[in-house]
Amino acid sequence: MANWQQRFRSLLIEQFSLPSDVILEMPRITIIGHIHFYIENHQGLVTYSDNELKLKINKGYVQIKGSSFVLKMMLPKEIMLEGTISEVKLLID
Amino acid sequence: MKYSQGSKVTGYVTILVKGTSPELFFQKCASEGITVWNVKKKSAELCVGDISLSDIKQMKKVRRRTIYKVSFTDRNGYPFLLNRFLKKRPLLLGLFISILFFLLLSNIIWEVRITGVPKDIEEKIDNQLSAYGVHPGAWLFSLDTPTEIQQKLIQDIPELLWAGVDQKGTTFYLEGVEKVIVQEADPAQPRNLVASKKGVITKIYVSKGTPMVAINDYVEPGDILVSGDLNNTTETDSEENEDEEEEVKIAPIAAEAEINANTWYEVSLTIPLAYNYEQLTGNKERKLYLKTGDFQLPIWGFGDPEYDEIHREMTENKINFLKWELPLTIVKTVLSEKEYLEEKRTKEEAIEVGIEQAVLELKQKLGPDAKILSEKVLHESVDHGKVKLNLYLSVEENIVKQEPIDQGD
Repeated sequence: MANWQQRFRSLLIEQFSLPSDVILEMPRITIIGHIHFYIENHQGLVTYSDNELKLKINKGYVQIKGSSFVLKMMLPKEIMLEGTISEVKLLID
Repeated sequence: MKYSQGSKVTGYVTILVKGTSPELFFQKCASEGITVWNVKKKSAELCVGDISLSDIKQMKKVRRRTIYKVSFTDRNGYPFLLNRFLKKRPLLLGLFISILFFLLLSNIIWEVRITGVPKDIEEKIDNQLSAYGVHPGAWLFSLDTPTEIQQKLIQDIPELLWAGVDQKGTTFYLEGVEKVIVQEADPAQPRNLVASKKGVITKIYVSKGTPMVAINDYVEPGDILVSGDLNNTTETDSEENEDEEEEVKIAPIAAEAEINANTWYEVSLTIPLAYNYEQLTGNKERKLYLKTGDFQLPIWGFGDPEYDEIHREMTENKINFLKWELPLTIVKTVLSEKEYLEEKRTKEEAIEVGIEQAVLELKQKLGPDAKILSEKVLHESVDHGKVKLNLYLSVEENIVKQEPIDQGD
């Protein structure tokens, strides 16, 4: 059943060129150089410290590493991170 | 970023969260719909972040369900600034008093400036203005409008031809034009005196010129009364001195004389037998309002008096602040009780009133020198509640009119 839904969604994206982040409930990540990291549609903060941020996303996690992290803005499904970013890792399970 | 900027106005607080992985508390807040910004992790168990003032209640609700300890470390924004300011009572009092003081001083006349007239008249005007209450230190509210002052000044100081009164802020500018008493234009201009109206001459007093009429003569308008041509004497004289005539001829002079004549006027008028008029009973009440735009805030005098008919008299005074006019006006209203009266008069009374009225009107028209000798009712009739009158008035007045002699150049 889930497989069928998945295929239908891929079809929608291809045929009607709909934005994939909306259809597939995946996060949209915007990075500006190494200073800003902006994520929409995440599913919760797991760990946050001065040099690491880990967020839950659909089917996995996003891990950002760097230094002097400040969460510039936190909204229900959005986070804006400021600092020196050195590494963005997508952990899919 | 936008959130943190707008919150300067509404106010925001910095909270310090204590507990294991404190960032999760902010995550909880965010998922509840509370905007959090500037989250910084101080140490493993300490985390600070900003939330807006209006979200504090909700944040406390979230905290109750968790084991985190939350403390406020900083208060920012306008509401806190205002609060801090309001707590300084002496400062506030001082500000209030100074504004009041400004308001007070802005509504006082500081200077009366008189221009355009010589010193002696300036002093006279100054005294007169002081009598009206226009002097440095007087309240602006208690004054009449500049136009009223202007009219009063012209009436009370005969030397003034015109006075422009202008109020600019706290200064009264007064510009005067002195009346220059002009000599009668060209007294030497040769002229005759002619009659301006028809009438019967009653009095002749000639100071210069040759009289051409005698008492009890009937004259028509344009008839020469006194001639400025001195050669114009009886013909017998000129015949006798025929040979000398060329030498005797004297240039015409300006005739001067006072000639009164008995003139008459026919006046027709109608007087109604029933008439209305309104009268103030003397009962009155004062009211004071503070007005901005269409809104009036009563300060003194509440409730309407129980008069049947009310005569309202309103005066408005603007309140100034420094050089600006505030959109505030003080409105003084005097409510006076009035009553309508209807009265009837008999035909005889109506005629009497009619004659009085006609005499008054004629006197106004002819000036103070005219003397009304007699009045007669020629015809009277009552029609539709009105009395129609035809009056015959006989008047003694000066009928002299100057007419220059055309010398043909």
